[in-house]
Amino acid sequence: MTQKLACVVERVVAHGDRVYTAVLRPDRRLPRFRAGQFLHLAIDAYDPSGFWPESRVFSIASAPTDRDRVRITYAVHGPFTTRMESAVVEGGSVWIKLPYGDFVVEEATDVALVAGGTGITAFSAFLEGLLPSMSQKVVLAYGARSPQLLVYRHLIEECRARVPGLQVVYFVEHDTGALPDAVPGRVCLEAVWPKLRAPLETNFYIAGPPAMIDTIRGDLQHRGIAAEMIHVDAWE
Amino acid sequence: MPTAKDLRQQIASLVREYYGVQFAARPFTPGVDLTHYAGRVFDSEELCALVDASLDFFLTANRYAERFETEFADYLGVSEALLVNSGSSANLVAVATLTSPKLGDRRLQPGDEVITVAAGFPTTVAPIVQHQLVPVFVDVNLGDYTVIAERLTRAIGPRTRAIVMAHTLGVPFDLDAVMSLAKAHDLWVIEDNCDALGSRYRGRPTGTFGHLATFSFYPAHHITMGEGGAVATNDPALARIARSFRDWGRDCYCAGGENNTCGTRFSQQFGTLPAGFDHKYVYSHVGYNLKVTDMQAAIGCAQLEKLDGFVAARRANFEFLSRAFRPYEDRLLLPHATPYAEPSWFGFAITVREDAGFSRADLVKFLEANRIETRPLFAGNLLRHPAFEGIPHRVAGDLANTDRITNDTFFIGVYPGLDRARLDHVADAFSRFMTHRGVAA
Repeated sequence: MTQKLACVVERVVAHGDRVYTAVLRPDRRLPRFRAGQFLHLAIDAYDPSGFWPESRVFSIASAPTDRDRVRITYAVHGPFTTRMESAVVEGGSVWIKLPYGDFVVEEATDVALVAGGTGITAFSAFLEGLLPSMSQKVVLAYGARSPQLLVYRHLIEECRARVPGLQVVYFVEHDTGALPDAVPGRVCLEAVWPKLRAPLETNFYIAGPPAMIDTIRGDLQHRGIAAEMIHVDAWE
Repeated sequence: MPTAKDLRQQIASLVREYYGVQFAARPFTPGVDLTHYAGRVFDSEELCALVDASLDFFLTANRYAERFETEFADYLGVSEALLVNSGSSANLVAVATLTSPKLGDRRLQPGDEVITVAAGFPTTVAPIVQHQLVPVFVDVNLGDYTVIAERLTRAIGPRTRAIVMAHTLGVPFDLDAVMSLAKAHDLWVIEDNCDALGSRYRGRPTGTFGHLATFSFYPAHHITMGEGGAVATNDPALARIARSFRDWGRDCYCAGGENNTCGTRFSQQFGTLPAGFDHKYVYSHVGYNLKVTDMQAAIGCAQLEKLDGFVAARRANFEFLSRAFRPYEDRLLLPHATPYAEPSWFGFAITVREDAGFSRADLVKFLEANRIETRPLFAGNLLRHPAFEGIPHRVAGDLANTDRITNDTFFIGVYPGLDRARLDHVADAFSRFMTHRGVAA
């Protein structure tokens, strides 16, 4: 059930290369949401008695258990995110409406999560919620242009230490020396495939840049993965 | 130059003044003024909310609808609530939801059977018939007027797929029995909670046990927005389907006046439509338009804040009438709750005993002559009504009590608008009737 909430921008972290994480404090508790859902963020003033202004879609990166704060991570790509770069500043105000979407990771089967760049935010809440005792096997392939842009690596390492059933493969395109255990280059399936128990019975979830999504999806189809086992988080 | 905000405040102030003049409490004259069985109970807050929403002139569902849905879901403790324009529409949406192709093999198909009762309001059963499903009627208890739980198992057939039943007059039906049967036979459950907002079963609100629940906000009900209703569920997938049926059957879930909420408005593929066909105009169900206006929702927001008080008043009035009528129990079967239930009473149902020495008609005519409104237990036996006589159906056992209800049962009000003067008038009228019939108090 969706709600529109006014938020104060509590914290902004610049990760470099025009990638940012913003922590927003809503004026009332967030509605219940599920890991993998997304929100709309509007920069312009909004009068609740009128029409919703221009907004953009962002995965809710924070856990559903935290209903007093909401976290998003974004990269500057177009006019709206360019405006965000100057408008979403600490102490500033924005409006959000949420939750939307059904990119919710299946918990009954093994899953492979393929994330590129800020696409990791579609999975971060799910990963945070993993229990050490889970029987499901979760394989995460997480890539970015450089090690410093693996902005959720710290959270993932915490999860990995806590949850034996979680396996992670990092990919970085540049400065590979800074993260020796990462696979050099873009996210691909070769390094992930041996970690899967039963690829044909695994649900695959892909979130990231459109080119990466197309490549991974094509590769999965080529490897005989059924269309209904491939889930894509893609927005315009 | 005053701002729009200043003017709103002035208007609100005038509305409060208007309420005091137009709707001020007036002294009750027994036998002259009507003692209603139900009615809207409101103060200046409802009027102010209504006017405030009208000044937005958004007209369709907006901020007040969003607020009501959120607060109503919180009140129930469910994840999803969606407003519709009546309780009957809520039932229509709820049953339609279970026919969605999105449910795959679990969807209800024409000819599937749905267990229900015949003693109730027609629009609990009507959507079953309208979707070419087959109602299977089970008799009800006298006194609590809910399904005879022991007979439910016998109602199960090879095509039984769902249970759709009301918590009649606010009395929770045997939810232990119904939910256990549903689990054992993998049945859908829709709780028609239109008459029971505020009722509890084993301490938990009714309307939170089934896969879907429905609510009515007609003026006779526990809270009102004039015309209004809601569907509640804890299942986000069912909620999305229900929203689609409510909103023309569309696949898109943008609210009125919004675009591209899904973020994929022009990049999806549906059936044989051209790739990227505008998602806002893609229809995944043969749906309706059953939405509310924001003015209705605004009234609902103000009413919801009073709900706990309304429920307490209904219970107190029920207790008053129970005490007042106890001396007549050898002539009248008085209402009672099912085990583990805390009803939020809709009305005070009375069945005239077969050996009472007078008929329901005798008593009802006397009460109506004394300006006390009465109502039958809605349709009585629905199968005896012209519209339902010929419908495909099955009866599990007999409907002997349902027929008794048709002949001998009626109810009077317990709504919060009944003050002590009106309740005394009701008690006095019963006393005079019984005295006239030679019944000692």
